[in-house]
Amino acid sequence: MTQAEIKLCSLLLQEHFGEIVEKIGAHLIRTGSQPLRVIAHDTGTSVDQVKKALCVLIQHNLVIYQVHKRGVVEYEAQCSRVLRMLRYPRYIYTTKTLYSDTGELIVEELLLNGKMTMSAVVKKVADRLTETMEDGKTMDYAEVSNTFVRLADTHFVQRCPLVPDSENLDTGPPPPAPTLVIHEKDMYLIPKLTLIGKGKRRRSSDEDAAGEPRAKKRKHTDDRQPIPDDGIYWQINLDRFHQHFRDQAIVSAVANRMDQTSSEIVRTMLRMSEVTTPSSAPFTQPLSSNEIFRSLPVGYNISKQVLDQYLTLLADDPLEFVGKSGDSGGGMYVINLHKALASLATATLESVVQERFGSRCARIFRLVLQKKHLEQKQVEDFAMIPAKEAKDMLYKMLSENFISLQEIPKTPDHAPSRTFYLYTVNVLSAARMLLHRCYKSIANLIERRQFETKENKRLLEKSQRVEAIIASMQATGAEEVQLQEIEEMITAPERQQLETLKRNVNKLDASEIQVDETIFLLESYIESTMKRP
Amino acid sequence: MAEVKVKVQPPDADPVEIENRIIELCHQFPHGITDQVIQNEMPHIEAQQRAVAINRLLSMGQLDLLRSNTGLLYRIKDSQNAGKMKGSDNQEKLVYQIIEDAGNKGIWSRDIRYKSNLPLTEINKILKNLESKKLIKAVKSVAASKKKVYMLYNLQPDRSVTGGAWYSDQDFESEFVEVLNQQCFKFLQSKVELSMEDIETILNTLIYDGKVEMTIIAAKEGTVGSVDGHMKLYRAVNPILLPTGLVRAPCGLCPVFDDCHEGGEISPSNCIYMTEWLEF
Repeated sequence: MTQAEIKLCSLLLQEHFGEIVEKIGAHLIRTGSQPLRVIAHDTGTSVDQVKKALCVLIQHNLVIYQVHKRGVVEYEAQCSRVLRMLRYPRYIYTTKTLYSDTGELIVEELLLNGKMTMSAVVKKVADRLTETMEDGKTMDYAEVSNTFVRLADTHFVQRCPLVPDSENLDTGPPPPAPTLVIHEKDMYLIPKLTLIGKGKRRRSSDEDAAGEPRAKKRKHTDDRQPIPDDGIYWQINLDRFHQHFRDQAIVSAVANRMDQTSSEIVRTMLRMSEVTTPSSAPFTQPLSSNEIFRSLPVGYNISKQVLDQYLTLLADDPLEFVGKSGDSGGGMYVINLHKALASLATATLESVVQERFGSRCARIFRLVLQKKHLEQKQVEDFAMIPAKEAKDMLYKMLSENFISLQEIPKTPDHAPSRTFYLYTVNVLSAARMLLHRCYKSIANLIERRQFETKENKRLLEKSQRVEAIIASMQATGAEEVQLQEIEEMITAPERQQLETLKRNVNKLDASEIQVDETIFLLESYIESTMKRP
Repeated sequence: MAEVKVKVQPPDADPVEIENRIIELCHQFPHGITDQVIQNEMPHIEAQQRAVAINRLLSMGQLDLLRSNTGLLYRIKDSQNAGKMKGSDNQEKLVYQIIEDAGNKGIWSRDIRYKSNLPLTEINKILKNLESKKLIKAVKSVAASKKKVYMLYNLQPDRSVTGGAWYSDQDFESEFVEVLNQQCFKFLQSKVELSMEDIETILNTLIYDGKVEMTIIAAKEGTVGSVDGHMKLYRAVNPILLPTGLVRAPCGLCPVFDDCHEGGEISPSNCIYMTEWLEF
């Protein structure tokens, strides 16, 4: 783990879970897998607290445990999983676009709680949705569970590994920590539940009037109902979301380069390959033109001939996203996933070079990318940039490690005057360098956001107090005049300051998400390249 | 009456006559005549007289001396040139010959020295002379800006010397390149597919800018712009990715990125770039 990654993880843990969890988590990330006692000793916290922190981390799938020989249980933090926390908003938003508000809330609940049973999720989401509905209407459990089933069918949520049912329970003492397993076929199996009920609105007025007894009674009622699917916990399937993001990126690239129709065709092909192709494969399964024609969305009335023309065009395009692999069934086409990711990663690199150094530098960069290895003189000739400027730009990019030099000696003694120096771009290492920079950038953005909030802490607290006072006064039926008086406690410049603060925090937040998009592209590319045989 | 011994010269033993005869012969055989031919024509002339006449013609620049595999050939020189060189001496003629042979690539003064074996001072004098007579000119090479190559006055310098259309007066016309760059792009944007030949290098720079892509298709010989059965087609394209997320944050473009850490002189909390960006 690089310094930047560790810093970012510790910032995220602190923001979401607090000081203690952050201390334990950061320690585990830095030192690797350790047993419980060692953690407690090294961090100087009590064993009890360490246990609680580990519970939280395990619940959120950030820490895994393993039983080693001699019965020692070691805990290991997963740095990459911690970094996924940056992407939570994107997951929630994607579900919203696909499954509307119900799906959005389901995913949000699962992300906030790490693991939950289906019935708990359904109940909570129904309650939340009922809050937002008009008076008198409630959300039916059936609708929520339908959405849940759909999410499971499309593999966006999956079951967590379970304790295996072992027949021979009395062979020696049980292990200190159970090893959780789950079968592939069980992962998306919905438990047979009949969830009947409706969402309950939290009636604040009743609560206040009746006071304690009512609240107690409600809680008692809840406890009495047994939970039918106890032990079957669900979690978010991050890989599936990543696959979806990757498909989105490819489709939008095709739409930018060609037109809407071709991007729709590519989207159809990707959708058909969702379940047949593993996410790390370099190519999708071959799809025949007839199949694609049948699977096109209903709204698209293009004839078979036009579809064939589009497919040929896509296959011949210099981008090489789509390839033709055979002629049976009207032409077999595959999507070249690895090439698509590589193109997107290089486009990212090019865009960074363009924004940082200027468009002429970007021209040189693309030139060296295309021609693989070039001498100084050749760079000047091809790019049509004067020699002095070209040299300056090449050295600048060299110092920032976007371009590297390849030495080819003419003589065995490697004398500099008798050596060829060729400029080249190593995409993989440049991508890694840029990824590291992204991590540090996000850490900077988070720190700035926290700093801004801390600066205005006093003001924020004051505004919160005022809001609380107003809310309580409204509840007890105060007059307009009194409310106005309280509101005026916050002066106009203070209000202005609050506005600015809110705007800045939003801007920094949005920027974090944007940088995370870059991280996603670069990470997918690096992963795809490393997995190739 | 003293007997004056007059050497009766045969009517055409007059040196001028000999020369004129030789010139006539050369005109008859424009590809050149050998010594043998002259001898056959004028058998009564002694070898020495012949030699004198030929030398005179050579020095006057009316004859060219060439070597062939059979022997020496004398060829009539172009009358226009012959007029020019009147008054120049042998050395100048030699230097002029060398420069002429270099064609439109021109020749460097050091190379002239090697070829003619004349000392540097002589060469410089001769070159100055020839330049003032407007027979040769000096062209600055674009490869090494201190080098001057000499070529005949009326020749166009070769592309490799002046750098072609992109150089004017030995300075790289970067503005010209930029303007053409933009124009080609606009031109291509409005048309769907088009094949171009002459400004291929500019189009290549557009490709490297990522605004244009090129495909090679098989074309019939004889269609406009086809070379060896291929044709290059250019098409304006959009980039496949909008400016990426990292560059939308100040950190992506920050020049002091590596020095920035919390608690230091440069830190996220007091970053001036961020402050500016937030006020935007």
